[in-house]
Amino acid sequence: MFSKYLFIILCLIPGLGIILALIGFVTYIVIMQSIGLNNLFGEDEFTFKFWEKIFAKKSYNRSVRYSLYIGTFSTIFSILLAYPIALWLRKPFRGSLLISSILKAPLLVHGLVAAFLFLNVIEYHGLVNQLLQYLNFTDQPIRMRNDRNAFGVLFLQTWKNMPFALLLLAGALQSISDDTLDAARDLGASIYRRFIDIIIPLTISAMTAAAIIIFIGAFADFTFQKIAGPRNTFSLSQLMVEYRGRMKWNEAATVGVTLIVLSFFGAVFVVFIINKLFKYPGWFSPVKMKNIQSIIGGKK
Amino acid sequence: MIAKSLHRILFISMIVIGVVWLAVPFIMAILWSLVDPAEPWTVDLVVPPVMSFYRWSYMWESSNLKNALFNSYLLAPTVSIVTLTFSIPTAYVFGRYNFVGKEIAKLLCLLPLVTPYFVLSVFLTATIISFGLSEYRVAAIVLAHAVMFLPYAIRIMTVGFEQVSQEHIDAARDLSATTFSRWRVAYLPALRPAFFASVLIVFIQSIEEFAVAFILGSPTFITIPTLLFSTMGQDFVRPNAAVLSLILVVPNVVLMLFLEKLLRTANPAMISGKGLN
Repeated sequence: MFSKYLFIILCLIPGLGIILALIGFVTYIVIMQSIGLNNLFGEDEFTFKFWEKIFAKKSYNRSVRYSLYIGTFSTIFSILLAYPIALWLRKPFRGSLLISSILKAPLLVHGLVAAFLFLNVIEYHGLVNQLLQYLNFTDQPIRMRNDRNAFGVLFLQTWKNMPFALLLLAGALQSISDDTLDAARDLGASIYRRFIDIIIPLTISAMTAAAIIIFIGAFADFTFQKIAGPRNTFSLSQLMVEYRGRMKWNEAATVGVTLIVLSFFGAVFVVFIINKLFKYPGWFSPVKMKNIQSIIGGKK
Repeated sequence: MIAKSLHRILFISMIVIGVVWLAVPFIMAILWSLVDPAEPWTVDLVVPPVMSFYRWSYMWESSNLKNALFNSYLLAPTVSIVTLTFSIPTAYVFGRYNFVGKEIAKLLCLLPLVTPYFVLSVFLTATIISFGLSEYRVAAIVLAHAVMFLPYAIRIMTVGFEQVSQEHIDAARDLSATTFSRWRVAYLPALRPAFFASVLIVFIQSIEEFAVAFILGSPTFITIPTLLFSTMGQDFVRPNAAVLSLILVVPNVVLMLFLEKLLRTANPAMISGKGLN
């Protein structure tokens, strides 16, 4: 028994051990540097002054709000778009494979290439401006890159992440047996009730997994923001890289800790919301609606 | 009748959306990569007036493209081999043993997927500097890539190990096969698709990875994504960026299609992320 467990531990070291060591070590360094310890330059001194300084900065607070905005809306748009398409593609039909391949194709496109393709469409000399000028809607090209509301970034995030959500949701939906749905139909359940009481509960884990990964990726985005995002606001990753570029490692560490903590709590919040809203049958029952209202209103 | 019409409308809309959001941007990228500097492509023209491969040869001769290609295509196979080597023992116990805490251990293996890559890159750089190991940046990139992509390799290899038939192993043992022979006749045939799929997915991820290569590698270690990023900044020269985009995307699409075929053999539902939590 002992030798079996020793063997298992030895086998886990090269994979899990290395993951825990590197991620754990980096997390430790980030936390320590944010409180003035393990400094690269200068003396170590335990202090919260970097946190006080960063909390007082408008740019930091704006970055937190901005990153949460991008993370949240990218997740919502991706899932909202993917779910009905996945439902539609659940049962194969002529051409469904073609549609599925076209929609999942952005998964094969690198984020930077996606950003470049997007610029080709919206830049001064992009397709949209060419079309607008050709149709005489405007004399001058319109500036669409780096828009203030980051619609471009949201579009790019959805373009890149929706296929991922579709992949997971389609897999989950296709694994629901027809027998289950037929049984519900035989018992008199309408399309709506079958969707609410069977399909949603059975796809909840795929939805949660997709939502968590999309949220964290979009929340910690750097490239889309740098290329297509607003010029007057930084994402948290951008702000951290900016501080690191100015050799302000402690400030970069505070932003790094913020990224880790908010990614974690964001993921927990995603799980909480999805479970609260969708886990149990009877989503729109009076009791459930009361729950939804209490979540939205923040009341118990 | 209504359902049929709705289905047809949806089908046509999806084809149109697919063309607009995929084919048109790629055609634009191809056209931009063929713009000849002698005759600029002005707004009033639908296609470039003169097309040539000038930008392709210019990028090949004058930019850091050769260097970036060399680095990317050296880094990716190295990372693939290192990651596969790290993943096999862990995947073996996940696939063949039952033990207390197995599900927690499997969940912890997904940690790199939920760790913001830029935090990992920036503070791995800090660690390397603090230990005075700046000259080993490339090794650090390999290690960081290996850790980032271990969840994929472990997951795929675990599925591979689960699919090895116990009857085959027992039969080989009953016929007095040595440990090596048992691996060769019982494990390897079942594991082959998982091996290839792991190597390929890590290869693609490593070629595409930007955060670590950008933070840890710059300015000396250039990869294709970091070179593309630099062309899309202040000095945005669209034809050059078009050339780099196509160089980055085309081989990966081919590899991905090959990968999809492999993953189908190695149980796609388990690997593609379903049941992540």
